[in-house]
Amino acid sequence: MMRIFLLQRFSAIALLVFLTLHMIVLHYPPFHIDFDNVLERLENPVWKAIDIAFLFVVLVHALTGVYMVITDLDRLARYRGLITWISVAVGAAAFVYGTQTILAFQAP
Amino acid sequence: MTNVTIRVQRFNPDVDQKPHLDEFQIELTQGKTILDALHEIKEEQDGSVTFRRSCRHAICGSCAMNVNGVNMLVCDAPLKDFVDRRGRVTIRPLPYLPIIKDLVVDRTSFWEQYQRVKPWLLPPDDVPEKEFRMSPDEVKALQDAEHCIMCGACYSACQVVAMSKKYIGPHALLKAFLRVLDPRDSAPGERLTDLDQGDGVFRCHTIFNCIDACPKHLNPTQAIETLRKLVMKRQAFEAARAQRQQSLDQPISVE
Repeated sequence: MMRIFLLQRFSAIALLVFLTLHMIVLHYPPFHIDFDNVLERLENPVWKAIDIAFLFVVLVHALTGVYMVITDLDRLARYRGLITWISVAVGAAAFVYGTQTILAFQAP
Repeated sequence: MTNVTIRVQRFNPDVDQKPHLDEFQIELTQGKTILDALHEIKEEQDGSVTFRRSCRHAICGSCAMNVNGVNMLVCDAPLKDFVDRRGRVTIRPLPYLPIIKDLVVDRTSFWEQYQRVKPWLLPPDDVPEKEFRMSPDEVKALQDAEHCIMCGACYSACQVVAMSKKYIGPHALLKAFLRVLDPRDSAPGERLTDLDQGDGVFRCHTIFNCIDACPKHLNPTQAIETLRKLVMKRQAFEAARAQRQQSLDQPISVE
């Protein structure tokens, strides 16, 4: 339980950094949502790495949060092992799918 | 004189399928508390209204109830402060606990979890002849946790308790905090190990409901955070100790 708790706390701190960066480059002036800008930025492998790391942190934070809430329920507590594996599988699948999407961005 | 409508949640397990609200008219007078209003209802309007109360001085913790959606001690709550725009006050039993009758709830899980943390002092072998002495700083570190009156307001306000009665709960964790930091206690390490269980300190979601509910203005959340830090430090210490023992176990090389 402590590991899950720590994972969620540390991912929350990382999320704060990534979200701030995300909001600045994507939403706040002088930047704005523009597909050309996104394409241009994702030409840079460093930005791709940042986005992949962001995706990883989001998944860790979300899935640990959902895991902790689900395992709070007395009725589901006995399926804790199964819920752990489902969470890992969902996280891995979402990470692979999301990473492929990020890597697929290429300027025409 | 102004009249107030008191809505009391009623439930008789022998008759009712589910709880319902009964309305009573009460005269709003100077200094009347919600407990006074309940007494008036019981004595003058419906003798079957059932609730717990004892000291009437906010120290026994018997009369914790849910008034207009907030857990509180009704003996300490002036009636006029809780009248809503429609001139009503709604009184329900503490939420998430099984109802025995009307406003009386079954506190079995509350006391079971309390006993689980061994709330009593485990004194050292060398007990002083007169009394234990504590410095003002040592007392201050306890953050008034000894003021807890075990009313159950925090326990019943906790969302984790709502989902699982296996969770230790803020009341018991506050007591565990008191004992862990008590300089007279001889087993703080063992206590920390017990708190590092699946339903222990790391189950808390830091929702802060316990702080809002506490009629004594205590801070169980901060106590839980302190316990978490101590549990983590203890684990780190145990890991370093095990590693050190392992390295000492190796044959000493002779040059």
